[in-house]
Amino acid sequence: MESARVAPDRWKSVSLSARIGGKRVGIQYCVESQKEIKLAVPEVFNTIEQTALSTWLRESTSVFGFYFILLFHTFGMALVVGASAVVDLRVLGIASALPLKPLKRLFAIMWVGLAINVTTGLFLLTAYPTKALTNPDFYVKLTFIGLAVFTMRRMNIQVFADTSLSEMAMIAKGKTMAAWSLVFWIGAVSAGRLLSETSKYILYGHLWGS
Amino acid sequence: MNFAHLHLLLNHFPIIGTIVGLGLFLVSFLGKNDDLRRGSYIIFAAIALISIPTFLTGFGAQVMIKGPGVSDALIQRHEGSALLSLWFMEATGALALIGLWQSQRTSHLARWNVSAVLVFSLLTAALMARTGNTGGDIRHPEDRPGVAATTTDGSVTEGTLGSIVRAFEPTPEKFSEAVTFSKWWWTFMMILHFLGLIMIVGTVGLLDLRIMGFMKQLPIGPVHRFLPWAMAGLGVNIVTGLLAFIGLPDNYIYSGVFWLKMLSLLLLGLNAAVFYLTDIFAGVESLGAGEDAPMSAKLIAASSLFLWFAVITFGRYIQPLGDTLRPGAN
Repeated sequence: MESARVAPDRWKSVSLSARIGGKRVGIQYCVESQKEIKLAVPEVFNTIEQTALSTWLRESTSVFGFYFILLFHTFGMALVVGASAVVDLRVLGIASALPLKPLKRLFAIMWVGLAINVTTGLFLLTAYPTKALTNPDFYVKLTFIGLAVFTMRRMNIQVFADTSLSEMAMIAKGKTMAAWSLVFWIGAVSAGRLLSETSKYILYGHLWGS
Repeated sequence: MNFAHLHLLLNHFPIIGTIVGLGLFLVSFLGKNDDLRRGSYIIFAAIALISIPTFLTGFGAQVMIKGPGVSDALIQRHEGSALLSLWFMEATGALALIGLWQSQRTSHLARWNVSAVLVFSLLTAALMARTGNTGGDIRHPEDRPGVAATTTDGSVTEGTLGSIVRAFEPTPEKFSEAVTFSKWWWTFMMILHFLGLIMIVGTVGLLDLRIMGFMKQLPIGPVHRFLPWAMAGLGVNIVTGLLAFIGLPDNYIYSGVFWLKMLSLLLLGLNAAVFYLTDIFAGVESLGAGEDAPMSAKLIAASSLFLWFAVITFGRYIQPLGDTLRPGAN
């Protein structure tokens, strides 16, 4: 990470909050060297936060602002995780009278949900880059999503795309994947809900509550 | 129309409904009438749903009538008894739904289930009666001399039975503290609330889509076998949702979208009632791969899907639109 110069007036609030919260809080810390502050948070986060889009997303009081994006992030989650969970549960033996092969169509819903969430996620990241990217939990969430999507793709290709497999063979092949998929999605949702509780910064140079 | 009116309108349903349901249930033992027993189960499930907005509007009413001439101690006492009777009502409703679900396959209600519903519905009816009485005492303490009275220092004196029940009734403030004592516990509840949402939308959404005519290779009956997972998700969300409301009622009672969310849930209950209690469900359950559902079923399925997404939408906006009903906020 590159260090950045911050105007002294910004430094005051930062160092004050940092002292309240301890000498070194998180990965952003202040070093006084000839009235010059070095932050371990890349300046580019600040640049993003100053853009018109980022500012509008944060500050607009329109119902089509930040919470609209968040709403579609929730819709996307319901689609991708909901459809995955149904396939996983069926592979694990729930509703066993249901033929497995036609559930292949649910993967389309999963990919649509994922596309919605990548898009809305990028908007949310544009609104609060410092808040997300300085939070270790954000990387935990991304890791869980990566693993879940990787498992989803494997299930799609190895279990559902191979039409030569019998239902028995599909289940034998997919059982472990299904169990891991549930674990990864629960992890991703949990890490996502924990983001607001674990972030140290609300904006570049602004600790939570400062 | 305000919360006090709404509460006074709704509060008759849980009390009278529980008595009617219990009456039918007890009569069903005389003639071993299974249909009558099922009928009482359906009433219990319906009342369990209606009890939720009844309880919630009570909080709104409390804020409205607070002031001189109204005893805080009597309100707190009513709130405690309402909370206790609500949990028992929800448990009775859940047991009734489990019984109805199981009886689909075995064609009779399981013995353990009938015993459990008997115990819980008796307790619920008694607790609901007390909730009605303690609620009535708030506005008409003069009507019931000897049953409950506030002393000069504002505390409430109870009869023998009343004091026994009271020992089990949670103090509202303690309950709020128990829910909000840690932000991690709160976050954990919210995680569960999201996982419950996913279970509901995943399973009910698939059923709705199939009935509407998508993924026609799927036979409808087997898709419906996912329903207990939706009900489990709903159960988790009713519990976590109620706990969140009791913990921070101010976050919800002044939010217009919160009440729209509750209205959507009631409409979903009505939608489900139309689906299961008419012959629509029986008509689609037997449909196999490739078969088309009748238009009535498609409409029910489409409204279900629409209303669940409405629930998510209204829920998501509670946070930014939490103050729309607060007096003087606009």
